[in-house]
Amino acid sequence: MSDIILALPVLFPLISGIIMLIRPVRDEKWNRKQELFIEGLVILNSLFVAAAIAGSMSGERRLVVFRLYSVLTVMFKLDQMGSVFAGLVAFLWPLATLYAFEYMKHEERKNTFFAFYTMTYGITMGIALSGTLVTLYLFYEMLTLVTLPLVLFTLTVEAVRAARAYLYYSIGGAAFAFLGLIFVLGYSGIGTSEFVAGGMLDMPRAMANRDTLLLLYVLAFFGFGVKAALFPCYRWLPKAAVAPTPVTALLHAVAVVKSGAFAILRLTYFSYGAEFLRGSWAQWVVMGAAMVTIAFGSTMAVREVHWKRRLAYSTVSNLSYILFGATLMTPFGLAAALSHLVAHAFMKICAFFCAGAVMHQSGKTYIYQLNGLGKKMPVTFACLTISSLSLMGIPLFAGFISKWNLAMAAFDSGSGLGIGGVAVLLYSALMTGIYMMTVVVRAYFPRLAGKGEKPGFDEETAKTASQEVTDPSWRMVVPLVIFAGAIVVIGVHSAPLMRLLMTIGGEAG
Amino acid sequence: MMEGNMILLLPMLCPMAAGILVLTGKVFRKNRSYLTGLSTGVLVLEAALTVWALASGGSLTVLRLTEQLTISLRVDDISRLFAALTAAVWLLVGIYSVAYMSHEEEEHRFFGYYLMVVGVLMALNFSANLITLYVFYELMTLTSLPLVLHERSREAVRAGLKYLFYSVAGAFLALFGIFFVAGVSADLTFTAGGILSDEALAGKEGLLLVSAFCMIVGFGTKAGMFPLHGWLPTAHPVAPASASAVLSGLITKAGVLAILRVVYYVIGPDRLRGTWVQTVWILLTLVTVFMGSLLAYREPVMKKRLAYSTVSQVSYVLFGLSLLNPVGFVGALIHVVFHSVIKHALFLTAGAIIVTTGWTRVEQMRGLGTVMPKTLTCYTIASLALIGIPPASGFVSKWYLASGALSSGTGVFSWVGPAVLLVSALLTAGYLLPLTITGFFPGHDFKGEEIEKRKLAGKEPSWLMLEPIAVLAAAAFLFGCFPGQLISMVQSIAAAVL
Amino acid sequence: MSLVQNFPFFSIILAMFSGILSSVLSGRKARNLSLAMIGITTLLSGATLAFCLRTGESYTYMMGHFPAPWGNEIRAGVLEGLTAVMFGVVMFLAVLGGLDHTAEDVEEKKLNLFYIMIDLMLSSLLALVYTNDLFTAYVFVEINTIAGCGLIMIRQKGRSMSAAIRYMIMSQIGSGLFLIGLSLLYDVTGHLLMSPAKESVEILAAAGDYRIPMLVIMAVISVGLAIKSGLYPFHYWIPDTYGYATPTASAVLSGLVSKGYIFLLVKIFYRVLGYDHVISSQMANVLYAFGVAGMVMGSVHAIQETDTRRMTAYSSVAQIGYIYMGIGLGTPSGMVAALFHIFTHSATKALLFISAVGLYEVSGDKKDFVSLRGAAYRNPLAGIGFAVGSLSMVGFPMLSGFISKLLFATSAQESPHKMLPTLFVLAVSTTLNAIYFLRLVITLYSRRRAEDDPIPEPVNAKSSWKLKLAILCFIGVNLVLGMASQPIVQAISDGLGMFD
Repeated sequence: MSDIILALPVLFPLISGIIMLIRPVRDEKWNRKQELFIEGLVILNSLFVAAAIAGSMSGERRLVVFRLYSVLTVMFKLDQMGSVFAGLVAFLWPLATLYAFEYMKHEERKNTFFAFYTMTYGITMGIALSGTLVTLYLFYEMLTLVTLPLVLFTLTVEAVRAARAYLYYSIGGAAFAFLGLIFVLGYSGIGTSEFVAGGMLDMPRAMANRDTLLLLYVLAFFGFGVKAALFPCYRWLPKAAVAPTPVTALLHAVAVVKSGAFAILRLTYFSYGAEFLRGSWAQWVVMGAAMVTIAFGSTMAVREVHWKRRLAYSTVSNLSYILFGATLMTPFGLAAALSHLVAHAFMKICAFFCAGAVMHQSGKTYIYQLNGLGKKMPVTFACLTISSLSLMGIPLFAGFISKWNLAMAAFDSGSGLGIGGVAVLLYSALMTGIYMMTVVVRAYFPRLAGKGEKPGFDEETAKTASQEVTDPSWRMVVPLVIFAGAIVVIGVHSAPLMRLLMTIGGEAG
Repeated sequence: MMEGNMILLLPMLCPMAAGILVLTGKVFRKNRSYLTGLSTGVLVLEAALTVWALASGGSLTVLRLTEQLTISLRVDDISRLFAALTAAVWLLVGIYSVAYMSHEEEEHRFFGYYLMVVGVLMALNFSANLITLYVFYELMTLTSLPLVLHERSREAVRAGLKYLFYSVAGAFLALFGIFFVAGVSADLTFTAGGILSDEALAGKEGLLLVSAFCMIVGFGTKAGMFPLHGWLPTAHPVAPASASAVLSGLITKAGVLAILRVVYYVIGPDRLRGTWVQTVWILLTLVTVFMGSLLAYREPVMKKRLAYSTVSQVSYVLFGLSLLNPVGFVGALIHVVFHSVIKHALFLTAGAIIVTTGWTRVEQMRGLGTVMPKTLTCYTIASLALIGIPPASGFVSKWYLASGALSSGTGVFSWVGPAVLLVSALLTAGYLLPLTITGFFPGHDFKGEEIEKRKLAGKEPSWLMLEPIAVLAAAAFLFGCFPGQLISMVQSIAAAVL
Repeated sequence: MSLVQNFPFFSIILAMFSGILSSVLSGRKARNLSLAMIGITTLLSGATLAFCLRTGESYTYMMGHFPAPWGNEIRAGVLEGLTAVMFGVVMFLAVLGGLDHTAEDVEEKKLNLFYIMIDLMLSSLLALVYTNDLFTAYVFVEINTIAGCGLIMIRQKGRSMSAAIRYMIMSQIGSGLFLIGLSLLYDVTGHLLMSPAKESVEILAAAGDYRIPMLVIMAVISVGLAIKSGLYPFHYWIPDTYGYATPTASAVLSGLVSKGYIFLLVKIFYRVLGYDHVISSQMANVLYAFGVAGMVMGSVHAIQETDTRRMTAYSSVAQIGYIYMGIGLGTPSGMVAALFHIFTHSATKALLFISAVGLYEVSGDKKDFVSLRGAAYRNPLAGIGFAVGSLSMVGFPMLSGFISKLLFATSAQESPHKMLPTLFVLAVSTTLNAIYFLRLVITLYSRRRAEDDPIPEPVNAKSSWKLKLAILCFIGVNLVLGMASQPIVQAISDGLGMFD
């Protein structure tokens, strides 16, 4: 019965969220007590996750919840890869919630927001803990649903449009992922769709129908790739940047989009098996798509002047780093993909939270409005600088480690396209430098009047200069500083993490 | 965690800590004497620490990023040469800045980053493997960026971003090569003659050449090598003169150092000799040499002219390195030293002129000899050295470069190279000497109304500024007269790597 | 013969007689009678189902005293029982949910007429399900048509008249074709009872006689019933019909009536014409092609609609397409999927129509997107009901639609040539479904804008408990179909086995 601990991190937030929806607290009655309660709830759940991970150290645990249909087993299982994702999410969630309290201070309908926010935690855990592809699919669909109200939250015209796009893309993607699921089930060598490191296909039968299976793999890859904002299905992500920042930061930079990437890792390494896919035409197709997305996302980010949308495009590009690692179909590739999954989580949530802090403190959303804010919000922009450098892949920060691993894995795989991928990674790194550093430089070095221009030429600078802006309160600053710290820690001391990831890769590749 | 000689850390950490202190401490913003006092103190200390570190030698493993990625420092002959040069010049320019920067705003920021850059640069010079080199190479870009941005004018911001993007692009281009090298070799520690084994490279020779080329062009960005030289003439002139001086004189040399390390200590010159990489590399350096000089010749603004001159001169060094023979190598390394000294002298002069008179364009400077004869004399000596008039220093290095080229066996380049050097020398004379000539001999029609009106005559810059210029100019001359020590040291290095 | 075996016959007769009785009752009483009757017949069907499940075989039941080949027979097996139960449940909930609206829409005097139609409708549906006799089938097809027309026409508002006429004409064409098919069949085989007819067909097929006439029979019957069930491209009557009838009528027409015909067609395929012949004669492929076209085109039409009622109606076209696609796959599992989808679609579509009612009543009885904006906040349960229905249509796991989709996809794997197109169309159709249904759901949950017209005060401020109950029950049915589908699918496949 101790296996019930596996269900707890999923069900506890879900049920709490539903209770919050059923017994709503009005905004006027909303106070610190509610926030304390929710924060406690989220921390408690993170402790559950920790307990589950600790429990699975001694041996794999499984918990069959119910059967949807004969072969459709809904089952929780915690292996090492699941632990990495679950641990990551469990670490970020309480901090993001803390940040959200401050951010949502002036918003209406806090109860609804936090109810869904908390429910999303449970669903994301469901994805991390899912033991079968069916379970994964189930939670993948549910994730779309519980996050939809969060995208829709402001109820503005843009929000509605974004929510629609989000929904269409996600459901459409899931529809294709579903086909992959069917085929995995059909050709499974173990009867169910339970994840097995190295793949679960019945090889002789699968090889007989190799091309069909590969085609279905490609479809499913793109299907799950929708959540991971794979080109050409990326459009929803920049649109979804209208959501409140805690949502964009945690969900659209980590939980939701990483779930897509995680699903692809599960599909590739634990269902089809890397061996089956390696060297096939399907590998080239999906790797090519990942490369195109990397280049495209970072290029679009340079063109975008809305700060959060720029970050969203950056996410588009960075998610495909993960996918690129995944499509190398080698143990090292998986390890590298996971390392970027972890590193990017910290970098991007940090960057988004900085953007959110600026929006919250000064209401500025466009990059050209940021002139000179660096001095007024020193902590925020220090964190932003760290996150930017890390995103660029400057050594001593987390981003360099993951990029290094990706490139090493690409060279290691020995495929020509992989080496081309390294070139794409570096191109994207340059673009990252451009789109992130322009923000930093603007913030710290506001332009003064140029030669031959009258003083005070730059209106935005002048406006900012006259505005009273300070760093936000501790509830925003603490998460920011912790994330920035985590980036540096991973950057200078990643050996233990990489050892773990290499074990995962070694088993699954 | 750390094993080895901890002293090696000091030249790196001391100025960095001081830099952060200066940037954050409010007292340095209010009280200028604290600021200048601390800065010069730290720079003197830095010179002493460097000497100590160089004398004690050894190596130090600082940090392990992953199993493969190690940050470690080591002293060898190359680091001795570069570190000593850096420490000495940085101190002189620092002293100069104390006077020069009094004309600028937000000095604390300048000095803060000025100190941090030298720390990073020291670590770069001491780096024992390719990863360490890359780490500090990137950090150098980032810490030197605020120096370019210092003026915060529209041009400065634009130039700063251009500097950043070119540097980052170059670094990432180089990173491709590093990725490859790291893939085929477990240990990236610099070893004279290269670290790659034939077995590991089997079947990947083509890719190795591509990687080598990427690294050369990538790191060549910092050295202003064609085709990624575009940032240099934009970024150097907008910085305050003392910053332009170190950017031009030393930071460009970091690119040279990186290429030197990659070619001679990682890949190995034997693997490149006679390949298309060498051919293209030589071609690129020669194009840069000629183009830089030509553009400098046509440029009216003095600091920009000097920046173009840097483009051209640093490629002399790269040309020497690209020859892959001992004589060229010696010529390259001593030109590193000479050019650094000379270019600092020239930029500091330009700064002195700006501070005293506000003139930026060469044609404004007629009759400068009446204003600041001592400074102009120093300038003239440095110019002659750069042109390569014996017995000043430039002659020695160019001699080696030319003879290296002639004996290099690179086909058509063995004579085209010296020819280009010669033409470039003529152009160098053409862009440097007019200032001396019109300065001392303004001509009959020159009335010097402006000089009279502003009472500029005989208004030398303060001794704090003049002293460093004089020292540098003297060094530029004396190195040419007594190059023996230096050359023998460099020759021993050359013997080890080739 | 046990008493239970009489139940199918009882339920048909009971439904018919309550219809007749209602003609002399007042509206209210007719309503109560109707509800009671539907409840009882459902229970009877349930008992029949339980009986068949227990014995594990089907039985035929002779109506009157004439044995084959002359008399009328009905036949009950697991599949018939299950379908009858399902129809009964959906009918009951649809009537219950739409009760108040029926009272509003229909003139007081004519209220009993409405319930007569409902009674007749149920009676004919049950007959279509249970019959083992082609002529009985034809008779009840006609009764069904008349009842359907009545249901549409009785509202007497807007385009319901023209819709009824259109429905009438299309249905008559369908019935006519069906009748021609029957006549030809009778000509060729000399039988109207299914079992002996099948024997003759087998003999003819073995001898190779009458190949063309058999093909014509197959085609005519298929097309006839396809028109009546609204298969694309014979769907033009659907949007108007479902769009302008009273809610109960819409729910019943879209959820049940078309399914009755499909069920009959399946039965004829298995019990008379022989499914193997249907496959070998390419008829299955034709149905498959129309089905696939319907799946896509129905959704495309639905996307273009701004009237939500008509949109939901067009969605039925797509869903009917699913069913025909399953039939056309030509595999037993495809047929199981198609039959399961009949259930799924009845439950889901009825849920959608009934929930929509709850949303319309808080939006000034308007049905366009703009008026419905924010309706889910004004009537939360209806909003949830509509959302659940939509998600089920989209194939969200744990709801019935997912199981349908799963069954279709798995069965597609068994037929190599149709696999890829089927899978592809399934995915595309899911996406299209998402586009129009979930767009509406998002609209329901978005905020009214300043420029929107104010909403008139709803007539009855709160929707009645009946509507709420109906919605809740429908959601429950959906969840049951989605989460406990195993026994149902098993029963369907057992029932299909009993057809031969």
